[in-house]
Amino acid sequence: MKLRALLLISLFGSFALAEVPQPSDPILTAMQQELAREKSDLVIPGMLRPYFIQYRLEDIHTYDAIASYGALTRESEGHQRVVRVEVRIGSETSDSSSARGDGSLELAPADGDPAALKYALWSATDDAYKNALRAYATKQATLKTFQSAPTANDFSPAKAVTLVEPLATLSIDRDDWKHRLIEASGLFATSPETRSFAEAVQYSSASISALVVNRYTVNTDGTMLRHGYSGYTEVVNIGGQANDGMNLARSNGSVATTAAGLESDAALKKRVIDDLISFNDLRHAPVVDAEDYHGPVLFSGDAAAEVFNRLFVPSVEADRPDIGTSARTQGAYQSSYKTPILPTFLSVVDDPTLRSFEGRALLGAYRVDDEGVPVEPVDIVVHGKLMNYLVGRQPVKDFPESNGHGRAALGQSAHSRAGVVIIKSSEPLSAEALRAKLLALAKEQGRDVYSVETLGGELAPRMLYCVSPDGKRTLVRGAVFDELDQRAIRSGILAAGGKPYIAQQVATVPGTTIAPELLFADITVKRANEEQQKVPYYPPPALPKD
Amino acid sequence: MTRTDWKLTPSLTSPHMHHAVASRPDFLQRLFRHALIVGLCVPAFVLTPAAMAQDATSPHNATAQQPLAQPALMDAMSTELNRALAELGTATEPAVSSAAKVGEKIPAQKPYFLSYSVADAQSVTITSQYGAIMNSSETHERTADVQVRLGSPVEDNTHGSHRTSALTTMSLPLTDDRAAIERTLWYATNRGYGKALDALEKVKTEQQVRAREEDSSPDFTRERPQVDILPPQPPLDVDRSAWESRLREISGIFRQYPNIFYDTAVLQATHETNYFVSSDGTRVVAPKQVARLIVAARTRASDGMDMFRDETFEADSTGHLPDQAEVMAKTQAMAKGLNDLRTAPITEPYNGPAILSGRAAAVFFHEVLGHRLEGQRQRGDEEGETFTKLLGKAILPDFLSVADDPTLTQYNGYPLSGHYLFDDEGQPAQRVQLVQDGVLQTFLMSRLPIAGFANSNGHGRAETGKMPTGRQGNLIVTSTKAVSDAKLRQMLKEAARKQGKTYGLYFEDISSGFAVTTRRSPQAFQVIPLVVYRVYVDGRPDELVRGVSIVGTPQAALRSIVATDDQPQMFNGLCGAESGTIPVSAVAPAMLVSQIETQRQAQGTARPPIVPPPPLDEAVNPASSPNGGR
Repeated sequence: MKLRALLLISLFGSFALAEVPQPSDPILTAMQQELAREKSDLVIPGMLRPYFIQYRLEDIHTYDAIASYGALTRESEGHQRVVRVEVRIGSETSDSSSARGDGSLELAPADGDPAALKYALWSATDDAYKNALRAYATKQATLKTFQSAPTANDFSPAKAVTLVEPLATLSIDRDDWKHRLIEASGLFATSPETRSFAEAVQYSSASISALVVNRYTVNTDGTMLRHGYSGYTEVVNIGGQANDGMNLARSNGSVATTAAGLESDAALKKRVIDDLISFNDLRHAPVVDAEDYHGPVLFSGDAAAEVFNRLFVPSVEADRPDIGTSARTQGAYQSSYKTPILPTFLSVVDDPTLRSFEGRALLGAYRVDDEGVPVEPVDIVVHGKLMNYLVGRQPVKDFPESNGHGRAALGQSAHSRAGVVIIKSSEPLSAEALRAKLLALAKEQGRDVYSVETLGGELAPRMLYCVSPDGKRTLVRGAVFDELDQRAIRSGILAAGGKPYIAQQVATVPGTTIAPELLFADITVKRANEEQQKVPYYPPPALPKD
Repeated sequence: MTRTDWKLTPSLTSPHMHHAVASRPDFLQRLFRHALIVGLCVPAFVLTPAAMAQDATSPHNATAQQPLAQPALMDAMSTELNRALAELGTATEPAVSSAAKVGEKIPAQKPYFLSYSVADAQSVTITSQYGAIMNSSETHERTADVQVRLGSPVEDNTHGSHRTSALTTMSLPLTDDRAAIERTLWYATNRGYGKALDALEKVKTEQQVRAREEDSSPDFTRERPQVDILPPQPPLDVDRSAWESRLREISGIFRQYPNIFYDTAVLQATHETNYFVSSDGTRVVAPKQVARLIVAARTRASDGMDMFRDETFEADSTGHLPDQAEVMAKTQAMAKGLNDLRTAPITEPYNGPAILSGRAAAVFFHEVLGHRLEGQRQRGDEEGETFTKLLGKAILPDFLSVADDPTLTQYNGYPLSGHYLFDDEGQPAQRVQLVQDGVLQTFLMSRLPIAGFANSNGHGRAETGKMPTGRQGNLIVTSTKAVSDAKLRQMLKEAARKQGKTYGLYFEDISSGFAVTTRRSPQAFQVIPLVVYRVYVDGRPDELVRGVSIVGTPQAALRSIVATDDQPQMFNGLCGAESGTIPVSAVAPAMLVSQIETQRQAQGTARPPIVPPPPLDEAVNPASSPNGGR
């Protein structure tokens, strides 16, 4: 492989990221052989040849287990290989690609048989080429119906890269985790702290899922990649109803790059008991005031990270605008380049090169993206102003080149996606100072204010506290937020904390968002007008006696 | 529910995954479906002509006489069912219905019927393609179908289009943890009760505003309780690595056929035990087991016409599937046949006599007759009710009779897929004489009554997670006007000559229309010929043709059957319809039809692959090693 790497360097002027010579990988070799054959032979006489072909093989290993009410209901393990072939016709200026992304999928041999792998690639390539020819003709015809040309090219060039990382492997003590899940999901009935209200717990489940992906990529730029990621997620779900029928739930978990990085057995148990107790607290909590509230709300780091993941991150990921329009990207910030989108004391960087933060390994970290572009930290927002979008090889106006954010969900084409987003304040306040500031507002305005710990679903508060000017916190239920939008994060954030919260996700693209607590000046808290379900028609079976 | 819903395919998906884990990449399942259903799209009729499984004894026979103690799972189900019956609907609540005065307390509805049906299924699935293993997995699932009926058998929450309102499906603990099993059943029952209440309210309202229904039959039959506790299925034991080697070798055959661009060989083995308990007093535990090996392949002619073939082998266990030599020989013959078909001449429009082989006739009867005799198709606003008014009348020539007999475990020594002991409503399997001497006698009945038929005849079948409906089991067509194959062929030539034709047609293999029309809209009832020959009257050798499609109503063809042969053939397959995918069989002799009209089928326009397949490196070709293993 050393020889091959050198050859690539000399031919394409590439740079190799692999520090040490890697042993030859038969999968990459088979992919390169078929790519070379298709590159030279794939053409329908009289039609265009592909100008770019990329092969990606995904080796996907999963393990899942779920326990409910203290018994295992499911355990499954899967291993699957899939190839995805992308073929582009035309030129970088205008090609066959669509905003959605294009490509053909085939199952690939799980046992690594090179002949069957090439066969799968061959079959997918044929399909992708024919689709690309059709798409190119249709797209060129569509473009002719518009007055103005697209605001950016369809594809950006990239240097050849060679990166062969060690293979990621799925490693988890299955029996130990099954035991933990069984125990955790049964705590509602077995733990002395919660037994008194066990009957009110309508569902109680715990699950673990592990996803380990190794990706092999070769393309006609001369790039050759073998890299991957691992994500382990543990989730607890507890729920039931208040006496008035309102559905209430606690659902939370931990996400890490290794099974060992998840919460310990003791911490998991403690969390489940806390969840059960807070579920019961919610059942007895008053329903939020029927009249709307407009005023200060303090968001925990957890809640703030979710707000940024919904309102901010998708709009700085540069997606190609609709064909025929003169927009730069899709989303809220398509015309916000170099304008303020956050308060001046906040800056945001995406730094996928950051492997860990405060001792925790970060899921969003990577070296080279899924389009073969090495990544560097990107300053997205500097002192409140939007200075950069996250861009893959699909350029947008003013950003003709990729900054290494072309990332693909399993089986999908690459899109511009964030890696490790860090939101930081230049004037961080301590937790005490923030709370004091919230209370000062309450006193100043002469009323109760709100503080939210966790959100569930569509930015709806789950653990929401009404805070009186004297600092008394009362848990309330049945509330939703309103006017929590891009305007609120642009001009409605009064202060930020200094203690970062790390939110991680495995799907659809692994990512990390690190956010401090945020104090908003004017958010609406209102009563949710959801239908209340009936309370159970008959009681659950009696719990076994100890 | 429309008539276009059913299809006969080798669906390879595992039983429904309720509560599927979110992290499981969703696209994989889609891809699987793409590869195995759309890609395959092959009707899996297992015709098992020559030597097949040697032994197909039913696993329960030996012990059926001695009822076993009730298993722990069954005990938990019974306990919780009784508790639900005792407690549901005992409380009174403030009236919300307009029928009652505001503020008045009305007693809550008590379910008049409640059943718990639990499928405990263990499966192994191994998928291979082009000499390599694509996937090899093992699953164990326990799934509960809870059925709640409110109102009365005369009119309940399942009326009309609300049939599925009775059903709630949930995963159960895999171990016999009583407390967790009972609590899960409680959760499902409580949810199901809420759904049923809502549906019953809608049914009542709809009945008030609609015109009188044509068929005013009740919504549920009354049946005698059944109690039969058979021994549960032992754990599934498949030598996966040995089967992986076998599958590599089988699918490796396609490496010799560069024009076949898709192939797959799949092994599926399942051990399942069904536990059923209902408020009728029925308690049934019945085991089921099956092993199935499916080989399928697809090619494309230079004009864009797609063609596929398949071979399916079926037995009660992997050990009883045919040996490797036989599978290899059949796969080799299928691959060669498919390759020949690619270059066969295209059919011309034809209207004349034809023979359907036994296998083709079996598929034809399953699709064209069997599905239309399902009880639920005789009532309902959306149904065609083709045969509803023909009861007691001739629908076939008088020398033909048709029965559906799920009690049969085998036919001529070959295992039948459509065999079962109890249907999915806890009713014992029964032989049903559908057509006697050409005259329609009855329908395939679940517990959904129709005019004139107030009881189930043990054909209420469903995939786990679906509401049972009347379905086929083993459809058996018999003839009293049977001649030898040679004589039938002679009769075909004579009929062709009489009609002034130079040839008659011989349909060797056909599939249901759904399979090959997925690119366009699915066509109900349509049967698509896969392998058709011209049989020349002047004695020239038979000629393979491609692209044949049958036009006109298939029932017309049923009435123009003039004779059969004396060598019935069978197929085993999976049949999909509203109540899910279930195993079925059909047996029929070859049939001479006096008049069948065909035309050239609509076809795809995609080119065959542009670049030839990758060259094979002999060193990695498992097909070249003598035993296929490595």
